[in-house]
This record gives sequence, structure tokens and C-alpha cells, in this order.
Amino acid sequence: MSDPQIVLSAILVVTLILQALLPGMRVLIVTAGAGLACLAATLLGVAGTGSILAQVPWDVLVILVTLGLLSQLFAESRLFDRLAVAATRLSGAAPAKLLLVFAVAMYLASGIVNNLTALVLVLPVLHVLLKLGGSNQRYVSWTLGVLLVACNLGGAATPIGDFPAILLLGGGNMEFGAYLLRAAPATALGLVLLLAIVHLVVRPASGIADDPLSARITGAVMEALHRRVRLRCRILIPAALALGAMVVAWLALPRSWGITPELVCWLGAGGALLACWRRGEGIVRRGIDAEAVLFLLSLFVMVGAVSRTGLFHDVAGALTAMPVSPELQLVVFLVIGGVLTGLFSAGPSMAALLEVAESLATTLPGEAVYVGLALAVCAGSSLFLTAATAGPLAQALTERAELRDVDDQPLRFGFVDFLPVGLLSFVLILAVALAYSLWALGSG
Amino acid sequence: MSSLPSAFGQAFRVAAAELGMASASQLMIREIAGGAGLEAVAELRDRYGREFPVLDHAAARWLSGEGEPAIDPEPVLAALQGIERLLVVGLEAAHLDLLLPALPAVEVGFITEGRALMPEWRRVLANYTSGSDEGRVAAVGLSDFQLWAGPRAALLTFIYGGDGHVVHVSGQWLRVAGPDVRTQFRSLIGWDVVGGELHVYPRWFAEVARSTFTKVLGS
Repeated sequence: MSDPQIVLSAILVVTLILQALLPGMRVLIVTAGAGLACLAATLLGVAGTGSILAQVPWDVLVILVTLGLLSQLFAESRLFDRLAVAATRLSGAAPAKLLLVFAVAMYLASGIVNNLTALVLVLPVLHVLLKLGGSNQRYVSWTLGVLLVACNLGGAATPIGDFPAILLLGGGNMEFGAYLLRAAPATALGLVLLLAIVHLVVRPASGIADDPLSARITGAVMEALHRRVRLRCRILIPAALALGAMVVAWLALPRSWGITPELVCWLGAGGALLACWRRGEGIVRRGIDAEAVLFLLSLFVMVGAVSRTGLFHDVAGALTAMPVSPELQLVVFLVIGGVLTGLFSAGPSMAALLEVAESLATTLPGEAVYVGLALAVCAGSSLFLTAATAGPLAQALTERAELRDVDDQPLRFGFVDFLPVGLLSFVLILAVALAYSLWALGSG
Repeated sequence: MSSLPSAFGQAFRVAAAELGMASASQLMIREIAGGAGLEAVAELRDRYGREFPVLDHAAARWLSGEGEPAIDPEPVLAALQGIERLLVVGLEAAHLDLLLPALPAVEVGFITEGRALMPEWRRVLANYTSGSDEGRVAAVGLSDFQLWAGPRAALLTFIYGGDGHVVHVSGQWLRVAGPDVRTQFRSLIGWDVVGGELHVYPRWFAEVARSTFTKVLGS
């Protein structure tokens, strides 16, 4: 390794470790790390700051921001309130069914809208249900844990669901339809396997009383809490029409026209916001997730600086030079990707690993590498509570909800409580990722 | 063996936080009577009556055959005639569901702080901001509720029984209705949602003089 490679990769790794250890300070840490990386790159003659900034994938940031704003519109339309009531009705407020119905609902919602928005709106409703029906520590840990994993799987199912897939779409690594066709069935399989094991083997609801009177009271209270909460069609219709038009554009517009995915997002979300007029203006002013944008921008800068040293190219070269079959090379890459994501979270891992994936995709079928990577990153995001942004958010919301069991003992949802769910999900989703990639290699 | 759900106490707190003590009591008793009969209502009163006095009072009514009391918003509407702004201290969903639609031109604010059981205000307000009501209902903090004061503004709270001299109100009312506030609003209305005296110690409530209010209305 050259001196610039050592210095810049050390800045990247130390920053990532620090932000993982101190999640409450992560934005400030990565912002400082990015500044330091620019300084080091300049002094070591690797690249100037302007040159590194020019390499930032702004298209990805545009997609993230505009989809985030569209998610806010869906939230304002009260769609999630009605979905939560529908999910309660569908489950009959029975504890075992509740877990299944909410997991499937969150999987579907996370494929379309930002999973943080979906979680902020749906989790309080689930907390109410957990209080109304009564619960214990095991049931709370598995229900909330499976819900988080379902969010991760839903985010990986579509090219617009979560950051890793958006990066593939924005970077032109995969087309919208091609990704959806491959990732959606694979993630759905992962969810079905997870729910089957949880429902049939783990049986977290086995210790919860499932009596008809409790279900009756839960249903009645939920209906009463939402008795006059109606969909705001004036917001929902423009948002749904815009999303529909965006999906059609992503699927149907020829690449040669130059209307790129980020431009589709920009125009689609902009149109929906304009249709909502003053409320749209309010959402644009207050609804942009500046924390996520700043965090990812800083990561792109640090990864870009390391990339300019040629380190990722060298790593990809070393991987492809391994004296093993291409299948095994890909397996090693995906396992490393999953573990790194578990440790450093999806954003940093995907930003760094994509460079290596692009090199691998020159010798291996792109779909096997990219979709496999997105699934491996999803597995890693599900390993620890801290690996995905939704985890700490769910933890904070659950603490605030002050859940208690029937003996009035407080119920938690922390790192250790999530761990059994995380380990099971990691193994399952990574197995699906490997199986999919090997199948794609074989059929490609 | 108990016929009541094991988590009933927690479930009642959730319902009472967002619906109000009286509305939640009626809902719970209706469901328990419908699902498990009057014996379960009697057990409910025995087990949870002392902790939730309004539930105890409502259960006693059911057991004596009186059932749910009718809610008549007309006297309150008459008392609020001519006002432009109404500030609500406390929550009673069944009563507000009848009152607020009958005041279409009145701006309504809910005091959101200082409650013993905190609801999810986003959802509470969503129940009163449908269709043409958008924008006329707002959440109001303790620090800025006096901006709502004026000769065409009124304060409304709910009364949970009492006698000729004192009435029981939520603790939130004490944080709002100081001597200075009395002169800043046209009227301070108390809406009695229980009627008569509570049978057990009025836990969750504070005792105030009946004369604090411009009018005490209701059963």
C-alpha cells in the first residue's frame, strides 16, 4: 500500500469506527472526517477538494431528498394511520397474527417510502397495541425486531426503497425494472422464511394470553382512537399519481433520451409538492432530512478521496486474483460486505463496496454482483440494532412509549434484546443473497 | 378465575389518555358488558374502581341499570354563543365529538402540556381536522395559551363530579386557570361529564371551588 492509501484509508476507517461507537455524534464525526480527508488528499497530492467534490454522486442525493419529500406527503395524507387500523382489523388483534400482518405491511410500505417515515408513524400505533393487548419481553423483542428487519427487506426490494438500492439506480449500475425483477422476489423469499421460522419455531406470542375479550377491547379502542381520522385525498392523490408516473417513467423511458432516474424523481416529487401548494412549500422547507444528506455527503467525500488513491481498484484486483472460482470470489465479497455493514451500517459500507463491486462486475454478471451486494448489505443492516438508522429510532420510540408487562415491569428494546432476531435475520438474508448470486452466476 | 384481560389497567390508561376518563370508561364497560356480561363489569369495578374513580362511577351506573348517560351539548353551545376562539383544557372525546362540529366557525385550541396521561396529540388533532375543518384546530402550549385570550374567547374543561361547593377537574386546569386568566377570557366553562359525586377517592383529579367557573353545565 502506498502512503496516501494508508493515510486516507486510516482516516476513513477511524471515522467509521468512531461514528459507530458514538452514534449520537455521528454527523459531526463524519463531517470532520470528510474535511480531514480533503486536507490529506490535497497535501499528499492525490486530488484537490474541488476534484473530490465533483465526484460526489449528487444524483443519489437528489433521489434521496426528493423521495424523502414524497414520503412526507404520504405521511401528511394520514395513509399510515389508516393502514395501521386496517392491519389491526386484519390481525383481529391476535398477538401472533399482529406480528405477521405488521411485518408484511412494513415490508410493502418500506419498498415505496422512506422506512424512517413509515416507522415513526406506524411504531406508535404498534406500541398502543402492545399496551392494549398486554405483552412480555420476548414478544416485544421479536415483534419489534422482525418489524425492523421487514423494513430493511422492503427497502432492498425496490430501487427506491433504501440507500443501497438508490445508489445502484442513481449510479446507473442497474435499471429500475431489472433490479425490481430480481430483488423483489429474493427479499420476499427472505421475509417469508423469516416469518415462517419466527411463527412456527420461535413462537414469541406463546406466552401472551390470546383471549377474545382482550382482542375485542383492543379493536374497539383502536377504532375509537382513529374514529374520525380520514385520508387527506387532496394530498394522497397527487402523491400517489406522482409516484405512479415516476415508476412508469423509470420502467418505460429509453435511456437514450437522457431523462435519468434523479430527474424523474425531481420532476415527480416537485409536481406532487406543487399540487399541494402551501403544504408542499411547508414540507420542502421543514421536511428535508439534512442530517442524512450531510452524513452521506461526508461519506461520499471520504470514500471518493480513498478511491482516488486506487485502493478499491487494488482490493478488487486482489479479490479477482484469488486462486478460487469466480463463485467463491463473489461469496467472499458478499460475506465481507454483510459483516462490514453490520459493523459500520449500510451507508458507509455500500459507498465503499460499490467501487469493488464495479470492478467485479467487469468479469462477473452485473446483476449477480449488484443485487447480491444489495441483499448482503440488507443482511448486515439487520445484524445489530445499530447497523441501520431505523434501529436506534425504534429503540428511542420504544423507550418513550414506556411499555410494561402485565406485572408492571418495564419492557425494553435495546441492543441485546434485538440480537437473537438480528443473528437469525443476518444468516437467513445472507443465505438468500448467496443463493441468488450463485443462481444468477449459473444462469448468466 | 378473572374474566378480565390481564393488561386491562395499561389498556385503560392508553384509552383514557386519548379519549378522556369518562369516554374511555364508557367504551371499556360497553365492550366488557358485551363480551363477558354484567358479572365482568362488577369484577371490573372491584378490581379497578379505586384506581380509576370515573370507571368506578360509570360501572356503578351500568350495574344499577342506568346504562350510558346521554350527552347533551346544547347548554354548552348556548354558553359559548358568540365566541370566536375556544381553548379546551383536558379531553373527553365523546363530548367533544358532539360539541366541535356544532361550532364550525370557532377556532379551537387544545392545551397539550401538563396532562397526567399524555396522548399522541398528532392523532388526537387528526380526529378534529377532517375535510373543511383543516386549520381551525391547533395544539397550544402552556407558555402561549394567553395569546388566545380576548373578549370573544372561552376556556372549557371537564368536571368529574363534586358537590354544591367544589368540583373535580384534571390537574392541567390548575396550571391554566390562575387568577390573572379569569379576567382574560370571556368565560370559563366547566362541563360535568360524570354527574353527582364520585364514589371513591378522586384520584387523578384536583379539587377546585365551583365559583372558579363562569358556568358549570351538564348532568
